[in-house]
Formats: sequence, C-alpha cells, structure tokens
Amino acid sequence: MKAKKIVSLLLVATMATSLLAGCGDSKNDAAADNSASTDTAADTAPAETQDTAEAETQDTAEAETQDTAEAEPVEEQTLKVAAFEGGYGADMWSDVVAAFEASHPGVTVELTIDKKIEDVISPAMKAGDYPDVVHLATGREAALTETLTKEKALLPLTDVLEMTVPGEDVKVKDKIIPGFLDTLATNPYGDGVTYYAPMFYSPCGLFYNAGLFKEKGWDVPTTWDEMWALGDTAAAEGIALFTYPTTGYFDAFTYATLSSAGGSDFYNSCMTYEDGIWESENATKVFDLIAKLGEYTEGTTVANANNDNFTKNQQLILDNKAIFCPNGTWLPGEMADAPRADGFEWGFMAIPAVNAGGAGCSFCWFEQMWIPAAAENQDMAKEFVAYMYSDEAAQIFAQSTAIQPITGVSDSLEGDNKMFYSIYDNGATAVMGGFASTAPVEGVNMLDTLCGTVNSIVSGDKTVAEWQAAVEEASDKLREAME
Amino acid sequence: MKKVRGKSIFITVCVAPAVILFIIFMLIPTFNVFKMSLYKWGGYSNNKEFVGLNNFKILAEDSNFFRSFQNTVLLIVCVTIVTMALSLIFAGILSREKIKGQNFFRIVFYIPNILSVVVISAIFSAIYDPNNGLLNSIIGIFRGKEETPILWLGDQKLVIYSLVIAMVWQAIGYYMVMYMASMASVPESLYESANLEGAGKVYQFFTITLPLIWTNIRTTLTFFVISSINISFLIVKALTNGGPDGATEVFLSYMYKQAYTNSSYGYGMAIGVVVFLFSFGLSAVINFVTKREPLEF
Repeated sequence: MKAKKIVSLLLVATMATSLLAGCGDSKNDAAADNSASTDTAADTAPAETQDTAEAETQDTAEAETQDTAEAEPVEEQTLKVAAFEGGYGADMWSDVVAAFEASHPGVTVELTIDKKIEDVISPAMKAGDYPDVVHLATGREAALTETLTKEKALLPLTDVLEMTVPGEDVKVKDKIIPGFLDTLATNPYGDGVTYYAPMFYSPCGLFYNAGLFKEKGWDVPTTWDEMWALGDTAAAEGIALFTYPTTGYFDAFTYATLSSAGGSDFYNSCMTYEDGIWESENATKVFDLIAKLGEYTEGTTVANANNDNFTKNQQLILDNKAIFCPNGTWLPGEMADAPRADGFEWGFMAIPAVNAGGAGCSFCWFEQMWIPAAAENQDMAKEFVAYMYSDEAAQIFAQSTAIQPITGVSDSLEGDNKMFYSIYDNGATAVMGGFASTAPVEGVNMLDTLCGTVNSIVSGDKTVAEWQAAVEEASDKLREAME
Repeated sequence: MKKVRGKSIFITVCVAPAVILFIIFMLIPTFNVFKMSLYKWGGYSNNKEFVGLNNFKILAEDSNFFRSFQNTVLLIVCVTIVTMALSLIFAGILSREKIKGQNFFRIVFYIPNILSVVVISAIFSAIYDPNNGLLNSIIGIFRGKEETPILWLGDQKLVIYSLVIAMVWQAIGYYMVMYMASMASVPESLYESANLEGAGKVYQFFTITLPLIWTNIRTTLTFFVISSINISFLIVKALTNGGPDGATEVFLSYMYKQAYTNSSYGYGMAIGVVVFLFSFGLSAVINFVTKREPLEF
C-alpha cells in the first residue's frame, strides 16, 4: 500500500514538473545559438552574462562612449538586435553583425533573426523584455511595427540622423538619398520627426514577360489607353491583361496611381485622411481605373488570391496566361525555380500615368529599422543604426542585393536588378510613404477596406460607388483618431 | 483519525498540481479576457485606458463583426447537421451490417482526423484549384472544358460552402467512431426481437439505435458547437485567410485580426467575450432542448 502511494506521489510530481518545465525560459538557449553563429568575429568578448546595472551605467556614459569607444579599454556590453529574414537571406545579417562587433570592441550583439520575427520577439516584449534594435517593416500582416507606432512606443531617431557614421566623417542624414526621410514611412506621425530608419528599398511596379512582347511583336504600353488596347488584342489570343498575387499588392499600386492622378500634395492628403478626399475627382479616377483593370483580370485570380495559392497567380505571368502583375523586385527570386514559357525574360515597368501626358509612377517600398522606446541599451542601439549607413555595412548588404537608400549603392548592381532599380532613372516618379499612423480604431482597417475590396470589384460583388463610400467612411473614422 | 487525516493530505497533494495548473492556465486567463475587454489597449505598451463597455458598443455597430457572426452560425448549423447525419449513417452501417473491408472503412474515415488542419487545407486548396483541381476536372467532364471554371474559393456565395465541405470531411471520422462505440453497447437481443417482429433496418435504426445512443448524441452536439468555432478558425486561416474580401471571416479570425493586426487588443478581447458567451449559451440551449428521459437497456 505504502509503496503504491510513493509511486503515485512520484508520478504526480514528475507530471507536475514536466508540465511546468514547458514554461521555462528558452531565451538562454536561443542566445547561446545566436552567439554561436555570430562568434565568427574572433575577438568577441564573453559579455553574455552582462547585467542591467552595467547597461545603465553605459547609458549615462553616452556621448563619450561614441567617440572614445575604440581608444580606451571599453566596458563590455550586449546589444540585442532583432531582424526580419526577408528574401535577401540571413547571412548578410550575421556578416554585418560580425563587422560591427569587430569595429566596436567590447560589444557583443545578440542577433535574433527569423522569417516571422514578430512571433519570436513579441512574447518577450509583452513581458517587458525589448530588443534594442528591430529591423521590421511596416505593412506586415502581424503589424507589430504599426502597433508600436500607434502605442507611441518608439524612440525618435532625430539624433541618429545627426550622428557621424561610425568610421567615416559624414553625417547619417547626408548619406541617405534625398526624399527618403520626408515621408510618412519614416515620419509616421506626419510631424517631421523620424522614427523609422529607411533600410532596403525596392521599387514596385508591373512585371511582365518581355519575351512574350518580342514574340508577338507588341509594344510595351506607356499609357492606359495603350494598355486597354493591348488588353483587347491579347484577349483575342486568350491571354488576360492583368493578374495580382493577393489584394495586399494593391497598396503599392493604389499609392502610385493616386500620386500620379493628383500629385504628391493630393497623395499626402489621402494618406492623412483629409475630409472628402476619397470622393474627389482624382480619387474617383483611381477607383475607376482599378475597376476597369478588374474587367481585364484573369478569371481565376480571385480564387487564388490568398496566402496558400498566390504563387499560382504569379505563375500566370511565367505561363503567358496573363501579361502584367504588380509586385516588388523580390518576385524573380521568389519564382526562381518555377517552370516558365520558352523565351521567358523578366520585364519591369512603372505604372503608366493616370492623366494623359503625365509621368509614370512607381511606389518605392522600403523596410524600416527602429528602436523601441523601452530598449535598454539605447545609445549602442543608435550607434548600430548609424553603422547601417556605413560603406562597410552597405557593401555587405549589397552583396545580397539588399539595396539601402544610400547614394551610389545601386550603381554596383548587375543584370535584372540593375533594370529594376533604374526605373526611376527612366522618368518614373518615386512615390513613398503609406497611411499616417493614428490611434487604433476598433473595427476599422484602411488597407483591408481599400485593397481587400478589390476582390469584390473583380468578381462583381460590389460596385465602385460602394467601395468608394466604404473607403471614405473608414477615412473619416481614422481622421478623428489622428492627433 | 490519523489515517483519515493522512489520506486527505495525500488526496490534497495529488490533486493540487492539477488544480493549480487549472487556475493558472484556465481561470486567470479567462478572467483576464473579461477584464481586458473593458480596456482600450494596443497589446504592448502600458497605456491601458479603461473604456467600460465602449468596446461592446462599437461591436454592436460593426457590420464586419456581424458578417463573421453570420458565417460562424452558418458553419455551425451546416457542419453539425451534415456531419451528424453522415456519421450516424456510416456508424449504423459499419456497426450493424456485415460488409467487406469494414476495418478498412473505419480507418479511411478516421484518417482526416489524424491529419493536421494545415495539411487538410493544402489538400482542399488542391481539390478546389480552378484550373487543375480535382473538383473542376470532374465537373469539366460533364460541362465541357471550355466553360469558365467554378471558383470554389473565389466566388463569395460559394466559398463558405467550400469550407463546410472541408470541415465535414475532417470531422466525420471522429464522430463516427464515437457513435460506433455507443452503438456497440446496444444489446443484440433488441435487434433480434425487432427482426422477429418484422421491423425493417431503417425502422430499427430510428426506434432502437437512435433512442439508445441519445445521451451520446447530446454530448457530441456540444462538441460540434465548440469544435466548429475552433476548427473554422484554423481552416479559414490556412485556406482563405478570411477572403475573398471578408466572405469567409469567422468569429475567431476576426477577433485575431482585430487583436493582433489592427492593434485593438481590448476590442479583440470583447469579441472573445461574445464568442465565449455565445458558445456557452448555445451549448446550454442545445443541452436543454435535447433533454430526454434516458432509456435504460
């Protein structure tokens, strides 16, 4: 009897502990893994066990550290960097981190990198443990960057722009291509204060099979009238004019056409939810344009416009079943292994001007890097952000075709990439920045209303008037939430 | 006396881990859901603003929420009726009739239950593919290849039923096994005497089998409500992500979107409260409506 009791007690105890073991902090393992991968710089200091007290003293020693970091025997500190692993791969990040550690003795960078970085870092963030630097763009499904923006939980980067790039004698703001710091994609509140550092940029436009145009003897359309004419010609041969991966890609498309229809002031009014702007004449042009494009859209597009099947829509271009597809420069990489029609050759163009005689336009999408206001090691974080704009870092990134908005970096590109990045040299207007950040409004999602509805327009479930009214309504609600 | 006391200590020690875990992982989070639904909070910062019932007020006017409500109710009703009917029929056939390959069918019907929902979604997105999908290829034999393909996941009137099919397919095996288990305990003698009286198979099914497994059917009805709400989220998330244009948005997918991508965590929790009360209420109603004097055998 007694033995039985002891055995049951033991069993219960094992069960209880094994259950609780799951709640254990797995951070240490992750840190160990990361340090293993980033230890390539041989001289990394064993700073992993650094405690917060040290970090704080480091904070107070602010300005001096920057200039004298290399001279004195420095304190050891840890910088937690979280980066989104995009199409450019993870290796460039480990290389950059290694280079940063080499040029900043005493600093150990704990790099966390993942394709779903928001899922990896947000549980710890909710518990108050924030990374020091985060590289994660806006416009992701989980909207972590937007959420922190709406919550006003980001550090202003104004002083980073004034900093000298480590190892060089240029200020950060002077290295960045003009225009990149004046947009809502870097100054989310529209008040001129920079919160996001612009990182890898990528022009968005229309992709097509240049081989198909050669084969059929068609000219690449430069106006929408030519576009519709081409649509009719192609339809006779059983080729649709247009397809889209998911409606999510209509953000860049709509931004570019809005700007083309009404100019940049009009575009900014749209992005800041000005009253009645979505029902104005210029906005109506854009809504009608997309609706007309809907008529030329390949029939099965809507059915495949979801996360599972969007590559089937992209495949339509490779199979010559549709001509144009809006996308970013990562598309050729994404479809690199897909089968394709004979003589296939990537072509890329800006979106034709909405008004006759105007310039073509292309939305310039870029990823952002930011520092959470709750970051512990803010000074080193700023140093790290500034370092991103050094020639050394830019070269490492450029080797993986990740192009930063630094003057001259895109010159080193070759092949297809050269063509993509030359789009602005050929007369297209660059459009940048998305919707202004507001306090969260329950039940209202501008991008869902503006882009998601395209599916209904193409399938004929909603009319343009209903769509336009819904967008204006969402805009009204968001305007009230803007400060 | 000492022995009794020792025994109660022993019981307490044995039960304590489960109780503590239950409190930490069930009661406290549930309580927090209710609490958070009264706040306006983005999910990260410390700026939680108490807004009382304001989230529920917004919810009452949110047409997207009502659409997801409708979709959920439609899924619960359709999936429950179809799954229950089919799995009862299959269970009846497999447990009462002697057919070849009985075990084979049992396994085949149960397989979808072992698969993860993501796999099921992948299977169904292949079946529903407009050009090369299984469904359209078969239908194409009768309609002719030149007809415009049916967009199972693209037609807003059709897509929710496409989800119903996937959910029924994945649920049938599980309920079939449950019904078969209780059918096995119905005494053979009842069927024998019914046979002697000249009752047909169908009549036997409705007058003997159904009443005698009624308690089991009641239990599964509650399961249907809860699992329809849960599985619909998983399938929607993997198959359509609420699209096209919100046509397949369900309770939980809408809640997820609001809480995590629209930075309205408090509002999401308010939806969570409604879902909680709804599923609780519906289960209670079903339980009440289906109450019968249990038959003894």
